[in-house]
Amino acid sequence: MTFTDYLNLLISAVLLAGTYAAVAVGMTVIYGVMKIVNLAHAGFLMLGAYFVYEVHERAGLHPLLGVALAFPAFYLLGMAVHWALGRGIPVSDEPTLASLLLMFGLWLVLQNLGYLVWGTSDRAILTPMTFATLRYGEITIPKIGLVVFVSAVVSLVALEFVLHKTWFGRSVRALIQNRYACRIVGVHVQRTARMTFGLGIAFAGTAGGLLALLFPFSPDFGRPFLLRSFVIIVLGGLESFSGVFLGALILALVETFSILAIPSSYQPAISFSLLVVALIVLPGGVAGILARKRRLA
Amino acid sequence: MSPKTETAPESLAPRVLRAGMPLLLLAVLLLLPLGDIGANRTKVLFLTFVWICASVAWNILGGFAGQASFGFAVFYGLGAYTSAVAINGGINPYLTYALAAAVATLASLFIGLPTFRLRGPYFAIATIGVSEAVRVIMTNLGFTGGASGYRITEHVPFRQTEHYYTGLALAALAVAASILIRRSRFGLGLRAIRDDQEAAADSGVNPYASKLAAHAVAAALTGVAGGVYARYAAFISPDGVFAFQRSVSILLMPIIGGVNTIWGPVLGGGVYGVVEEELSARFPEFHLLLYGVLVILIILFEPGGLMGLLGRLRRLILRRRVGAWQPS
Repeated sequence: MTFTDYLNLLISAVLLAGTYAAVAVGMTVIYGVMKIVNLAHAGFLMLGAYFVYEVHERAGLHPLLGVALAFPAFYLLGMAVHWALGRGIPVSDEPTLASLLLMFGLWLVLQNLGYLVWGTSDRAILTPMTFATLRYGEITIPKIGLVVFVSAVVSLVALEFVLHKTWFGRSVRALIQNRYACRIVGVHVQRTARMTFGLGIAFAGTAGGLLALLFPFSPDFGRPFLLRSFVIIVLGGLESFSGVFLGALILALVETFSILAIPSSYQPAISFSLLVVALIVLPGGVAGILARKRRLA
Repeated sequence: MSPKTETAPESLAPRVLRAGMPLLLLAVLLLLPLGDIGANRTKVLFLTFVWICASVAWNILGGFAGQASFGFAVFYGLGAYTSAVAINGGINPYLTYALAAAVATLASLFIGLPTFRLRGPYFAIATIGVSEAVRVIMTNLGFTGGASGYRITEHVPFRQTEHYYTGLALAALAVAASILIRRSRFGLGLRAIRDDQEAAADSGVNPYASKLAAHAVAAALTGVAGGVYARYAAFISPDGVFAFQRSVSILLMPIIGGVNTIWGPVLGGGVYGVVEEELSARFPEFHLLLYGVLVILIILFEPGGLMGLLGRLRRLILRRRVGAWQPS
């Protein structure tokens, strides 16, 4: 392995990290506000992939436009789901067995609806970009990876903006900190929760669409990414948005560079090993360590 | 017996009925093979017994202690493979079940030690990861044939009734364990953890150790279930015994029947075992969709599952009868 090989791996890891961050952030938002582990995240990722696929195949729109359309569509879908499941997904202080199982049931429904509609075979979205690369001497960058990375980063920056500059965002951050204090200062908890759920699902759908540009997919598409999302948000400390970026970067780096040491058939076991290591070594996540440092300083 | 806050003292008849019903059921199931019920029906019943054992085992951790696991296929699969390898190695099949239980228990500690120390959803999350990781490793493991599966060769004639009784004994063992745990101090501790972990810890329950123990018992039972199944099937593969689908089924049965009860998981396992046989052959994708809808409906409207529904029905009938006596 030469230096440029390492550099190429590093670049692909960073590109992957951007996408992973977009995949995990929807789960963080929902967990932070409602303390619900959204197992149906996988189902919405899958639906997002097929949404972009259908928009591309039927309406002939550019897949990136499809990804952009997925955001409002899944926002509304998320709000509808929250409305329909109503009392099943309350805003609570810690995850309940009921909400966990409820989201699990929803995932089963979504996944098997997917099987009913699209069958078991793999689909892929192919555009002229898919196999194109940018070359700078020895360094190659896959064009599609770059495009997906940029889209993911743009959506995450937009989220940061919403969270820090709007009243909705302030309510969300306040809810993450303390639900009771929120009521006192007049945050409409139920409405914020519904919008948050919509936002989380919107990110799931959009990220699913982005993933569909990179990988082939089937109705079982979301499962490996569900686990990755967990790893990322656990690494990131469950409720922190900056933690998501760090977690995504760590996971992407480990996954990419582990190819050098571990046979690729064992790849799916890596995210779990990382999860266990994270749980033993840093239960508060990377962000927890940073916070501790800050407190000490 | 754990203290209950039931107001009216029960008369003798319902108590005898309640204790007698399971024994009657057991007697009927014991005598059933004497009559000619056919190989196919015996097979369905045998599989149902295995399901019931896994379902009851899941409930010990997921119901009593309130720790949902999405990875019981790990124990089931490890039990199946342990028994399979040991049987091929010439060990008595019934001894291999003990090995299966031991291996599954070890695996449960491996999962539980890092995850039970933390509060929150870590355990449930980790179980999805473990089952995925173990399946991948088993798919690539050389000496068990990897993805192409593993065949058990026994040099004794295949006797279905023997399997039937093994299955029945297994299910009875699981139910007995469930009843004993529920009535013990340990079981009371588990329920306290489920209700309020901090309060439980304050009253002298060690949540960490209790959860680990419940996980270990549940894993051991599930491992034996896997072993018993493997010997019957004579062929196992990672995509069968370690499938995520398997974990899903083991979780669905107690939820459908009624979590945190003794008979709910048995009922759920029984219904599932019989229905699955009919449904999965005819509608391979549709039946999981159905189960998904069922889980959502149960959580939203009747968290007690089938047992809750039965209780509701019973109260309805009783109230009507009482109402008839009362003048007004």
